[in-house]
Amino acid sequence: MKITGFRVEQYLMKMDRLVGDANLPSGVEMLPGSILWLETDENISGIALGYGGGIESLFGAVEGADPREVVALWIRMNDWLHKGGNEGAASAALSAIDMALWDLKAKLAGEPLWRTLGAIEGRVKAYASGLDYCLSDEELFAFYRRMAEQGIADGKLKVGLDLNADLRRLGIMRDALSVASPRPGLMIDANEYWSPKQAVRYIRQLEKHFDLLWVEEPARRWDYDGLRLVSRQVSAAVASGENLHNLAQFYPLIANRAVEVINVWTGQSGVTGLMQIAHMAHAHGLEVSMMNAQANYMAQVAAALPSHNMMEVVDPGREHCLEWDHRIEDGCIVLSDAPGWGIEIDEKRLRELQANPPTGRGRFPFPRRAGAGRYIVPPAPGEVPWKSGT
Amino acid sequence: MKVTGIRVTGQTCRLSRRLARARSPAGRLTKNCCTVELFTDAGHTGIAIGQEASRQAIEKLARDLLVGADPRGVKGLWQRMGQAQSARRRAPRLHEATAALDVALWDLKSKANDEPLWKTLGGARPRARAYASGVDFALSDDELADWYGTMARKFGLRGGKLQVGHEPTTDVRRVGLMRKALMQASPEPELMIDADESWLPKQTIRRTRAMEERFDLTWVAGATRRGDATGSKRVSDAVSAAVCVGAGLATLAEFLPYFQQRSADVIQIDIGAIGITGALQLADAAFGYELPVTLAAAPGNIQAHLAGALPYFMSLEVVDPIPPAQLYTSDVRIEQGAAIAGDAPGNGLALSRAAPASKPARATVRR
Repeated sequence: MKITGFRVEQYLMKMDRLVGDANLPSGVEMLPGSILWLETDENISGIALGYGGGIESLFGAVEGADPREVVALWIRMNDWLHKGGNEGAASAALSAIDMALWDLKAKLAGEPLWRTLGAIEGRVKAYASGLDYCLSDEELFAFYRRMAEQGIADGKLKVGLDLNADLRRLGIMRDALSVASPRPGLMIDANEYWSPKQAVRYIRQLEKHFDLLWVEEPARRWDYDGLRLVSRQVSAAVASGENLHNLAQFYPLIANRAVEVINVWTGQSGVTGLMQIAHMAHAHGLEVSMMNAQANYMAQVAAALPSHNMMEVVDPGREHCLEWDHRIEDGCIVLSDAPGWGIEIDEKRLRELQANPPTGRGRFPFPRRAGAGRYIVPPAPGEVPWKSGT
Repeated sequence: MKVTGIRVTGQTCRLSRRLARARSPAGRLTKNCCTVELFTDAGHTGIAIGQEASRQAIEKLARDLLVGADPRGVKGLWQRMGQAQSARRRAPRLHEATAALDVALWDLKSKANDEPLWKTLGGARPRARAYASGVDFALSDDELADWYGTMARKFGLRGGKLQVGHEPTTDVRRVGLMRKALMQASPEPELMIDADESWLPKQTIRRTRAMEERFDLTWVAGATRRGDATGSKRVSDAVSAAVCVGAGLATLAEFLPYFQQRSADVIQIDIGAIGITGALQLADAAFGYELPVTLAAAPGNIQAHLAGALPYFMSLEVVDPIPPAQLYTSDVRIEQGAAIAGDAPGNGLALSRAAPASKPARATVRR
């Protein structure tokens, strides 16, 4: 069993709805997609979703190797990146190759990845996340109610630009989720829009009315002092990590106990890299939470992590050329027994998307909003479909 | 695949030499252990060698939590066994029992894939840098020189760890003997000492510094009483050698103060205490601090399987290059200074059926 080649296909998706946060409350509906295939001499290939170029620069580290030796190959790729660092595009390439290797390892064993990784069952508790600053109050309610009807009792709201509107919308999210639980778990996410002290003032106002499970990215990703300051001053746990990409970058956050929840995802040096982060967090008594993913496929990894609390489910319609059999049941993501990630690519649909790229509003990712970290720029008239709270 | 039953058999084996340390200076010539066999409905048997004293704990834990479970869910089962530990804090030997069962479960997981454990763990075939560990407190000078000489000549080992805690002049002389013997394999052998927690921190500092006037020491182990992270930090700040921490620590949480105070320079991982699942977690936490990890000796040297899957692997301890064949054989061989795992499925341990069971204790449960 040897790795012989690779192929990358890129395409553009139009999601079923807009997604937005404090940095772009008007939202975007266009999302670039990318699929990596790692090919082998045994007519079986491993896939990784969501990455672009740069594979060729690292492919030499794994070419000819047995994909089942994925952890050793991760170490080799990481060593290859010694001088430039496991950062930026190189890190994304390392992540993608590692993801495809794990897919291969599980497929070769003929089992779903959660089993390869040593989980007991392919079942992970979910929370709803609307990426919802661009949703009207009615759309907001409809989204969380739809999630609650699938048994999901926890929700995470995008906030940061308008205190009174955020208070109103937290109430809407809670009411929508209340059919799943008398006490829904409420979380907020500011996507680094505040300074640490702004965060403290804002969150303390929210906490007068709501009991919050966690506040996400209340300060910059690397600012362990700022994150720790927020953590010590508010009752809610502080979550962060989605914009960090390897264990070394997490070191100051974990060693200084700056956060209580670590958001993990594929872009943190692959399955191998994010397991390292989860293991270090576990050793320090911190929880981890898996970020959202197309078709919720990262539940495969979440199922095997120690101290995993719940995984983010967004469900905005990003599965245009994927075939899968995962579902939400009783508030949990339930994975199928299909091998590897449990995802097949509909190549015909992919070709159609490439031949006729859809058009729509904006494009992910979007830039940081004016005022971020210094002062708040509330939504301009017409920028969002909801009423200002002032 | 489901676990259908377990057999734990008490065993006694004769050691190849008298094993002793500073706190048990008389040492011993025999060792009690137990062989663990986890049976499955797929015909595979998961093997581990545990401590004799944890026999009952192993049986109970397996009956309570493993029978009926799919061994491929080993990490989830590790968590379940861990929860049992925290629920029954005072139950004796639960850590060792959990570790032994975890080893047997990983054996089954890799046997189910029909591949060696090192491959299941995602590693490349390990050629793991190994060092000789005499556990030699009770050996005479001649025996000491002879043993390390054999390790150097026959197995190519280029490093050694001496048990210290004798008179200062005696310890210095014996480090010199070990060094001279190991020079048959390398002009600059790697020298390590283990004080077996017998010194107070300041004593460790004085003794280590005195030794460092004569020798370049890679690390000092057992530098302080286990759990004394502050004392360990004082030693590390005062001597040139690394402080190696890990012997006697059985959970991730016990390592936390050493990480947080940066009071360990090398992390020793003992799969007999923390299992394979715990070892993977601990090694990743150590990697977060960029601390090298070294694998403590395990029966049959099966710890070699992990070496290729640990991101900051440094070395591996060998107490016995060849396991006691009357009890079990191993697919890991020591040659040219390295531990090399073979291609046999699982961890490569095979029980010798002729083994005389000193205290047969059978508890086979089928469901």
